[in-house]
Amino acid sequence: MTLARWTYLLAAICGLVILMSVFIGSTWINMGDVLAGLSGRASDPVNQIIQTIRLPRALLAALVGAGLGASGAALQGFTRNALAAPGLLGFSACAALGAVLALYFNRPQLVMPAAIGFSLLGALAMTAFSRRKPGASGLVLAGIGIGALATAITGMIMNFAPNPWALSELVYWLMGSLKNADTQDVLIAGPLTLLGCGLLCLSGPALRVLGLGEDTARSLGISVGRTQWLIVIGCALCIGAGVAVAGAIGFVGLFVPHILRFLTKANESWLIPLSALGGASFLVLIDSLIRAASGPGTPLYLGIVTSLIGVPFFLWLAWRQS
Amino acid sequence: MMELTNISVRYGNKIVVNNISAKAETGQLIALVGPNGSGKSSLLKAIVGIQPHGGTTTLPAHPKERAKQLAYLAQNSTAPASRRVEEIIALGRTPFTGPFAKLSENDKASIRKAAKACDTETLFDREFSALSGGEQMRVHLSRALATKAQILLADEPITGLDPYYQLSILNILKDTATAGATIIVALHDLKLAQRFADRIWVIDDGQLVVDEPAATALTDHILKDVFRITADGNIAP
Repeated sequence: MTLARWTYLLAAICGLVILMSVFIGSTWINMGDVLAGLSGRASDPVNQIIQTIRLPRALLAALVGAGLGASGAALQGFTRNALAAPGLLGFSACAALGAVLALYFNRPQLVMPAAIGFSLLGALAMTAFSRRKPGASGLVLAGIGIGALATAITGMIMNFAPNPWALSELVYWLMGSLKNADTQDVLIAGPLTLLGCGLLCLSGPALRVLGLGEDTARSLGISVGRTQWLIVIGCALCIGAGVAVAGAIGFVGLFVPHILRFLTKANESWLIPLSALGGASFLVLIDSLIRAASGPGTPLYLGIVTSLIGVPFFLWLAWRQS
Repeated sequence: MMELTNISVRYGNKIVVNNISAKAETGQLIALVGPNGSGKSSLLKAIVGIQPHGGTTTLPAHPKERAKQLAYLAQNSTAPASRRVEEIIALGRTPFTGPFAKLSENDKASIRKAAKACDTETLFDREFSALSGGEQMRVHLSRALATKAQILLADEPITGLDPYYQLSILNILKDTATAGATIIVALHDLKLAQRFADRIWVIDDGQLVVDEPAATALTDHILKDVFRITADGNIAP
């Protein structure tokens, strides 16, 4: 199958799972009403459920998944390390720190700017620390270090949580969920994620050449520094926006690019957009399953389920590589 | 033709390439020889422009323009395991393609010609990791030739290869020089250097100590002082 066909197939799957997701929820709505609700021609409560709850949640899951998938593919390409992912390199930890700070100071309206701001700050710090050694190994070392620091500070903030209620709010938030998704989230996270994915896609052709090693890529006129900037800013936008609306969601960025690389044999120019579509489809599907499976009193958290599915894959990958 | 003027490279306080000036003529294959750590790789990287250095070359300063005129085969070249050979060779056209890496007819013709010269056309659909070491080096060389640059620098391209592939790689480099390119190849095998090169540059402790025709470059004195061996291939007393 050609790469163009893979792209069409994944885009179609993504559209289908988003549509399917709109049918799933705590209230049963029949197919005709759901379709009418999408275009605002159903009764008011149905219109409201579809347009302000289910559709934003499905779109947000798609955006978060797309950002995670594209970031993972770009980071794996840049570092030429199969285990690189936004979680490992500290983007998620920095964004989570920003969001936790906003929650700790009881400023929920600042969660989005803080998550994106801290993610960008982390990206700048990574670039600054890797300046003496631009390229894969410098970025990996700086990213792991900064991520560990952000995680430690997040832990410290939770340590000083003023009361058990505040602590449980932080803990649940970190588990990752889309249950509070609304249209405003889509309108803010959407453009930022799409811009981030666009920057990451722009780095694709340079990443193809970087597969030959940094010296060879530089000799072919590729600027490793410019490529690194495209990737860290692109990841910071995607992951910052994603963490702000959905909390920390692990492993999607690791294994979606892997599976697609294995299936499609795509180079980075294709793998980044393919991983965005794959990540979007995967996260919408998992979020739909969670909604279908969890009862009203026992909500399953998205971050936990993606990790439960992702960790066995991670271990298998590590085992295969050793 | 390429001229180097006062090329110097230092790592911290250590000078690894010390004020090298030389001229590489069109159509010549130059063997760059010297002991381990003498500065061969650093000199080549400085010429390619990927190593901070002092001094100047006659090549364009802008990386993309320089890449059109100079191809580089790095030591221990690598490629993604599952990448198809044809795709790797096509990356040699990177300096000429746009932001989406779309290949023109001219690019495709250059790729075919390079693959023909290195006999890699039959490998086009194979994955890189499925090739032997010798085949992999021929693919890297095809990638370098696909750029159709006037100057080609190769850093120890035959290290670790069996005699057949060593000769095959050097024959391709020789033919490319004869066709009008300027080639500088770092080598450890002094006999092959004498046999294939037009000129030999001997570098020792960062300095260019010999720049002579291949036949006269490796005197007993140089073998003993620089390489610590005798003319009959023993360790010098």
